[in-house]
Amino acid sequence: MSNVLRPYLAAVRSTLTAALTLENFSSQVVERHNKPEVEAAGSKEVLLNPLTISRNENERVLIEPSVNSIRMSIKIKQADEIERILCHKFTRFMMQRAESFIVLRRKPVQGYDISFLITNTHSETMLKHRLVDFIIQFMEEVDREISEMKLSLNARARIVAESYLTAFNS
Amino acid sequence: MATPEEYQIASVPITSHTFNADRSQLAVSLNSNDAQIMSRQGQEWKVTETLSEHDKLITAIDWAPNSNRIVTASQDRNAYVWQQTTDPHTGRTVWKPTLVLLRINRAATHVKWSPLEDKFAVGSGARAIAICSFDPENDWWVSRLLKKPIRSTVLSVDWHPNNVLLAAGSADMKARVFSAYIKDVDKRPAATVWGEKLPFNTICGEYTSPAGGWVHAVGFSPSGNVLAFASHDSSVSIVYPGGPTIINVRMASLPYVSLIWTAEDSLVAAGHDCQPIVFSGSEAGWQVIGSLDDTTAPKSSGGASRFGASGVGRLNSAAFNTFRNADSRGQSSPVSGQTSTGTELMTVHQNTITNVRPYQSQGGSVTKVSTSGVDGKLVIWNVSNVSGGGGLVPRLSGMNIK
Amino acid sequence: MDTAFRKIDIDAYDEDAFLESELFEPDPRSPAHVLNDAKQKQTSVRSLLAKGDTAGALASALEGAPYGPGVDEAKNLTLQSVVSILNSTKSTEIPNVVRSLSQDAQDTLMKYLYKGMGLPGWGDVSGSVLLGWHEKLTEAAGTGCIVRAMTDRRTV
Repeated sequence: MSNVLRPYLAAVRSTLTAALTLENFSSQVVERHNKPEVEAAGSKEVLLNPLTISRNENERVLIEPSVNSIRMSIKIKQADEIERILCHKFTRFMMQRAESFIVLRRKPVQGYDISFLITNTHSETMLKHRLVDFIIQFMEEVDREISEMKLSLNARARIVAESYLTAFNS
Repeated sequence: MATPEEYQIASVPITSHTFNADRSQLAVSLNSNDAQIMSRQGQEWKVTETLSEHDKLITAIDWAPNSNRIVTASQDRNAYVWQQTTDPHTGRTVWKPTLVLLRINRAATHVKWSPLEDKFAVGSGARAIAICSFDPENDWWVSRLLKKPIRSTVLSVDWHPNNVLLAAGSADMKARVFSAYIKDVDKRPAATVWGEKLPFNTICGEYTSPAGGWVHAVGFSPSGNVLAFASHDSSVSIVYPGGPTIINVRMASLPYVSLIWTAEDSLVAAGHDCQPIVFSGSEAGWQVIGSLDDTTAPKSSGGASRFGASGVGRLNSAAFNTFRNADSRGQSSPVSGQTSTGTELMTVHQNTITNVRPYQSQGGSVTKVSTSGVDGKLVIWNVSNVSGGGGLVPRLSGMNIK
Repeated sequence: MDTAFRKIDIDAYDEDAFLESELFEPDPRSPAHVLNDAKQKQTSVRSLLAKGDTAGALASALEGAPYGPGVDEAKNLTLQSVVSILNSTKSTEIPNVVRSLSQDAQDTLMKYLYKGMGLPGWGDVSGSVLLGWHEKLTEAAGTGCIVRAMTDRRTV
């Protein structure tokens, strides 16, 4: 299945590069305001078509572009109950510390596990190709992360059970 | 011939730049409420004055070469015209601002002086363009608004050489040509291909590109008979008003944000691709000639450690690594250095180019252009130095995952 | 004191605001006509596929694709024809087929790829097929094609 990962990440990378064409855009609806249009959704003409890239039913990425911001939501593969719990805890951990991640959104979009909000100020202060690199690296590592956590969880559970039950072995 | 002259003016984005008539001074807005005047000193540009009057980001500046006046427009719905006068107390020449009554209720996005420098046009988010002329009685600039049929923010404006017609591109996906004839200021213009006897606010033409997309930049050719516009669907469209259709050149690269004509049959466009591209053609058709940036030669230490801001992206993954390693392996993270594991941009500009201006002309055509961008660089290119007709998609080393 | 006026959404009454339908040029053909076209194309695509001419089948399926509101059945038919072509092409042939398409057809193909990936149920669409086509199409048409898929309001 890993030969689908490469074109999946390549597709996400090229779509993100195409979406990160942001510029400073003052709000048309409220004077002297400058807000991310994808969140404010004030005028329809400044929002672009949302695009989905999916590897299979359970792994998807939704990119909603607009003139000065994009919102990118990722649905992580969660095969069983344990992975679901681990994923939930992991994403919650990161979203609570969203300020230090800068581009992370505090709440995921409905139907997805984690969301990023990148605005024109981010693409001005940070290099766009590095932002794209960061997000692709994040996607690569999240899956690995969760499998490692699951393995160590199982290992620990086995050790605990063994040491508990040897007490009854006498 | 010469490699482009590169100046790293700031570490913040340059929102807009404009030169004075002899190119010895430069007015820039560095993503802030103040405009800076810089003078060339040797190989560098040093700040000589700061113009502060606005209280929100200055979105556009234009310098009138003959009358030596600067107009600045900002997101605080105001514009000011600055003139050089001698300060009575100190005897130095300072720039004095004059109020402009724009009467718009949203941000101003773009400003351009007319060819005769008696008027200027300001595009705004109020879905209107303000044409301003000087009222000597009250010593201020008054405006008349072009409103219908603009439905969304105006993103760019450009004047026709006859001082009356104006092209405007806006976020409602259309490029339009208006008549901005003001009775007491303009003489009645001669007939052009765009029409004749045109009162104020007449639409001479409304154009759109097939895939739609906000029109980021518009420009009239040096004669005024051809209009070009660049829209967000990564295409450049050229309009010949008498002709049958609009010629639309679709690109495989990211959209352009700014364009200028260098001669009657060629233009330079630049934008999110970070390199200026030359187009050439005629009524029969237009095509890309090449890029002014030689992307094959690796540039010195690309964008990796330039701002430390990219370090934020790297820091995030370093923090991420710390969490991960501490949790599953109980070790502190190795500091992942800024090695070339990321992508590098091979172009001179490391981020979007926001502005292209003519720098030097010879015999009616522009020979050098200057570009400024979000990476804080100002680069002066020689227009004839075109390279690489094929490889226009910026070559990101390591990006093409083969 | 009647304060109901405070709850009015004033922006909804703004006459200058854009409606969804005004963002693009509507399809000049009538919905019935579009449906007929789509059905005819489906039959021609099947015959071209039987002959083994994938490039021709794809080009004819992508031409005159239905877009906009009110033509959902035609859109589904065209999507199915496109997907059947994509599934039946060998992966070694994909670069050639993609390069033989016109720029319009490449843009429309990109729109269909994203639409296919965005479908909730999978049905007969496979992720690896769509992603493989996406990669080859981006190599041939560049990121400009993706930007056009985002900007073009004529959603298939």
